[in-house]
Amino acid sequence: MSTPEDGGAGGASALVGGNRFVGQRVQRREDARLLSGHGRFVDDVTVPGLLHVAFLRSDFASGTITRLDVEAARALPGVVGVFLGSDLNPAVLETWVDYEGGPRGRPFRVLAEGDVRFVGEPVALVVAVSRYIAEDACELIELEVAATHPIVGHDAALAPGARPVHPEHSSNIAETVEAAADPELDRIFASAAHVISRTFDQHRYACVPMECRGVVSVWNPALGELEVHISTQGAHGVRGFLSRALDVPENRVRVVMGDVGGGFGQKMFMLPDEVGVVLAGKLLGRPVKWIEDRRENLMAGQHAREDRMTVSWALDDRGMILGVRGDLVADVGAFPAAGSSSIGFVGVVFPGPYRIPRMQYSARAVYTNTCGRSAYRGPWLMESVVREQMMDAAAAEMGIDPLEMRRRNVITDDLLPYTTATGMVYSETSIAASLEQAATMIGYDEFRTQQAEARAHGKLLGIGFGLYVEPSGLASGTMSSEAAVVSIGMNGKVQAVMSSGSHGQSLETTIAQVVADRLGIDVDDVTVSQGDTASAPFGPGTGGSRSAVILSGAAEAAASKLRDKVLAIAAHQLEAAVEDLQIEAGRITVAGSPTPSITLASVARASYRDRSALPPGAEMGLEEKVRFSPSSGITWSNSCHACVCEVDPRTGAVALLRYVVSEDCGRMINPDVVEGQIAGGVAQGIGGVLLEHCAYDDHGNPLNVTFVDYLLPTAVDVPTIEYGHIETPATTNPGGYKGMGEGGAIGSPPAVINAVADAIAHLGVRPLRQPLSPMAVRALLDEAGLAVSPA
Amino acid sequence: MKPSAFTYHRFDDLADVVDALTTFGEDAKLLAGGQSLVPMMNMRLARFGHLIDITRIESLRSIERTDDRVVIGAGVRHCVLERDELIESAAPLLHAATPLIGHFQIRSRGTIGGSLAHADPAAEQPAVAVALDATFDVVSSRGARSIAAEDYFIGQWETSMEFDEVLRSVSMPVWNGPVRVGVAEFSRRHGDFAIAGAMVQLQVADDDEVVRSAVAVFGLSSIPNRARSVEATVCGRRLGDVDPAEIGELAVAGIADVAEDAHVSSAYRRSIAVAMVAEAWQRAASDGRQDRP
Amino acid sequence: MNEMTVSVRVNGQPREIRVEARKLLADALREDLGLTGTHVGCEHGVCGACTILLDGDAVRACLMFAVQAEGCDVVTIEGVAGGAGAMGDVQQAMHECHGLQCGFCTPGFVMSITAFLEQHPNPDERAIREGLSGNLCRCTGYVGIVAAVKAAASARARR
Repeated sequence: MSTPEDGGAGGASALVGGNRFVGQRVQRREDARLLSGHGRFVDDVTVPGLLHVAFLRSDFASGTITRLDVEAARALPGVVGVFLGSDLNPAVLETWVDYEGGPRGRPFRVLAEGDVRFVGEPVALVVAVSRYIAEDACELIELEVAATHPIVGHDAALAPGARPVHPEHSSNIAETVEAAADPELDRIFASAAHVISRTFDQHRYACVPMECRGVVSVWNPALGELEVHISTQGAHGVRGFLSRALDVPENRVRVVMGDVGGGFGQKMFMLPDEVGVVLAGKLLGRPVKWIEDRRENLMAGQHAREDRMTVSWALDDRGMILGVRGDLVADVGAFPAAGSSSIGFVGVVFPGPYRIPRMQYSARAVYTNTCGRSAYRGPWLMESVVREQMMDAAAAEMGIDPLEMRRRNVITDDLLPYTTATGMVYSETSIAASLEQAATMIGYDEFRTQQAEARAHGKLLGIGFGLYVEPSGLASGTMSSEAAVVSIGMNGKVQAVMSSGSHGQSLETTIAQVVADRLGIDVDDVTVSQGDTASAPFGPGTGGSRSAVILSGAAEAAASKLRDKVLAIAAHQLEAAVEDLQIEAGRITVAGSPTPSITLASVARASYRDRSALPPGAEMGLEEKVRFSPSSGITWSNSCHACVCEVDPRTGAVALLRYVVSEDCGRMINPDVVEGQIAGGVAQGIGGVLLEHCAYDDHGNPLNVTFVDYLLPTAVDVPTIEYGHIETPATTNPGGYKGMGEGGAIGSPPAVINAVADAIAHLGVRPLRQPLSPMAVRALLDEAGLAVSPA
Repeated sequence: MKPSAFTYHRFDDLADVVDALTTFGEDAKLLAGGQSLVPMMNMRLARFGHLIDITRIESLRSIERTDDRVVIGAGVRHCVLERDELIESAAPLLHAATPLIGHFQIRSRGTIGGSLAHADPAAEQPAVAVALDATFDVVSSRGARSIAAEDYFIGQWETSMEFDEVLRSVSMPVWNGPVRVGVAEFSRRHGDFAIAGAMVQLQVADDDEVVRSAVAVFGLSSIPNRARSVEATVCGRRLGDVDPAEIGELAVAGIADVAEDAHVSSAYRRSIAVAMVAEAWQRAASDGRQDRP
Repeated sequence: MNEMTVSVRVNGQPREIRVEARKLLADALREDLGLTGTHVGCEHGVCGACTILLDGDAVRACLMFAVQAEGCDVVTIEGVAGGAGAMGDVQQAMHECHGLQCGFCTPGFVMSITAFLEQHPNPDERAIREGLSGNLCRCTGYVGIVAAVKAAASARARR
């Protein structure tokens, strides 16, 4: 299945304690409770007197609310309260998230008020003794809307004179990146041997975590304290937001993130309905719970990815890229979440793994009468989707093999450190090596032979690459740092309290590995806790492929400080020099001499109770906190995906025959975790390209709001994934780690699209939009005039 | 997504079910496997004042063989059909088609009666019934009656049963002598509803001559289509001389009512049906099974 | 509220609850019996997160009303241990093969795999993937889960 190159001993970081755990496939601490049904997800939380929330949501994409009568709903036995926009919206004071740093003019309202702006927008919030009754009450609400023609799609949003989705704005442009004038680039284009232009579309699809969103909110009026349990990627972000929104001092807001069933970006920041739940509970003075159902999640839980990009490449006769122009339009829906529009970042990352000397880029994000956009695993990945397709398109037009085309243009190691046309600096990447490893693993040359033979028999096989660099360890704004508080108790056991929490990334295990190695103890002697603002230091939440880099950086640094202190105390007790001591299996000895030894527990006891046993002037206790920032705002990792597919000419169905990932995320803490994260991302990319679609009709009605229509990939749809690991340690953090949590989802869409395109390229057609459903592929074959023989 | 309220009834006797249906009329719905009904109720696309649970009625769970028919109680679950030796030997087409229904968790609860009465155009068992000229035994307060398969399915999710009638059993003819069966369907993912599919049952003489065939196409129209033109064409021809592609085209050619929706065009659906008929034919042709009459 | 009494054997113990007829079995397990290991992912029978064993068969608890379970034998994830806190073999295989990340879909997979291996003790990879296709996972790409089924099947075959 995989061809791992385990971390093992050695590496750029001088780990004094050795690598018993880091680099190993340590089995997860999280598993015991999750496998036995004892996880603690938000819907598992219950408090006495809990009430339940359901929302009435708009069936219209846009229009004026002409009637909203809730009297029958209020009168239904079991209903405790019904809230409208006029009740809740004025009670929300501020709506910016920590990451934004202040109000940014992002449209936000808890409930629709006066008008509706997308199908699924919450219009009324019902609180009742059960979700069943709350839904009964919703059905009794009389809502009438004088519908107006909705703005759906980029073109409608940008049409001259288009009605603004938000009447308080003058247009539908949410954000703009202006192209900088570049006469030099103009000259390059004018004189280039080849100029190739294409427009690519990426369709709308969504994060779809298996656990929908949910919140339990308990407002204690006597104490003026709010306790919120929420399925989120960042507890502190929720605390900060709610504190500002509801004007409750943040030190009286406690947010608890328990087990979270996936987020992928959708749960990074609070969304209006969640805020409504907390507010309703506060107004009622009763504990309330809302669990989003799947229909709500698919319709209104935020969507992602809907982008169109037009690019032009200037190339020389050898296919070397001389310059790039790009223009992007991103559809962000009516109420985009914070940080969802990464239109700027697309331009910054676009050059990716190639030597692109010059680039001009412009972009717009537009509002439409559809569900708002959230971040989704590599929110900027349109850069790879477009660049990698363009690579193949340019190669085809110039008669150059697509692998060869990449080889000619990649940034090779001898060019490092390399500064891209957009000012990004790569220093520890292995771009060319990953391309070669992927090509070797997939058997590129043999495949081309097989492909030719297959074509002779009417079989359509194709191969595609997705080569990219990933801006991981994102460290800017509130994401600039993470903290760890590591302590050793009276009995020698270690606790690490982390600033940001896991929503599936195995942090309870990987952090324990790092700390255990640093302290010379068993990984089972470390527990990792996270996600409770009452105990965890401030964190921005997990996202941005940061955990391995920044959280482990903090854990490593705190564990190091603890180790130093332990050794100082032990040296004092053993009357030895600190440099001569080692810790192994929780025992401190002089190197080379098994006795005398003292245990970590005894050192800990001394630190808490016996000041005289400590070196003079030493602070008592064994607790250290470190807030860590990597030395750079971006830690670049890189990867190459390669995929082989077969297209069934009768049906247009795509089968993925092989899937290979060559990845470099620096030193791996746990290869199982790395591979698992990649695999999950790859499955999301496969699903996105072949199956998933948040489609709307012209009236703004979402068409895929249940799992019958929104198709997630199953075990049949995802092939076995083969891994090649390259370890070029990062220099931005002592562990040498790089992030790759998003990479699987970045490399897969281009690899799969390119493979399908390659399978049918000889017929003279090329897909420019997805999803590549069997119907869509069959239509391309029809366009190519391919007669279908069912036999 | 929680269903709206209803009064729940559960009976051990079919006569009580009939009485309840008569009493409550169209405000009542039979609850068998629930694999189609409950999702619709959870989404509040369907609501009934009364649900009548028929899953404990023993008389609906029998599988019996008469000399030339297999009679299957409407309450027999798909997972039971899959594992039943009598079904495997005497109703091989049904036996081949049933494992294609959804996923095994669905088949743990879903019943053949439920599938037939629900009459989804993309469902497998209605197509088997139409292919083999099954008959449906139906009861109400007015007594029992028998409905031929070709009269039973009248539209998408519509049968010719009255609202107060209960499907008691379905009876499939057993062909005398060895048969070969082939089933093929195409869907977006494994276990999804078919975009189109086909059922084929053949009898071939020792000299390779096709002596009898039954071909049905499903998913294409609002009801399963019996391809009698194909059956007439292949009769008497050598199996080896029959071109599956030609069979596919012929089976679909006569069908005028082809479904079209936001996801799948009628032209595409038609081309899939052609391919599936050909594939089902090929599977039947190469099916090595020997049937016991 | 129109409530009915339901007597059902859950994880080997006789239990009795009072619920509205429309209460889904998944909700009754979670709320009335406190067994929150069974998760709700879609409420329309597609994702499989709510899979339990009913009289030995894997079923979707979101597609049954609790009242329908009268007199039945229900096994939930909490009832699939190897005894005295140890993990059953399917759980152990999932653990060793890194078959879970966020864990939300996991109980449903364990129950489905348990039932699947009873019917298919020696499955090949294709049969495994088809057998797993009624459960959705968003984190793992199914790689570890497929490996876990193979491992559990092999281990059982060796015994």
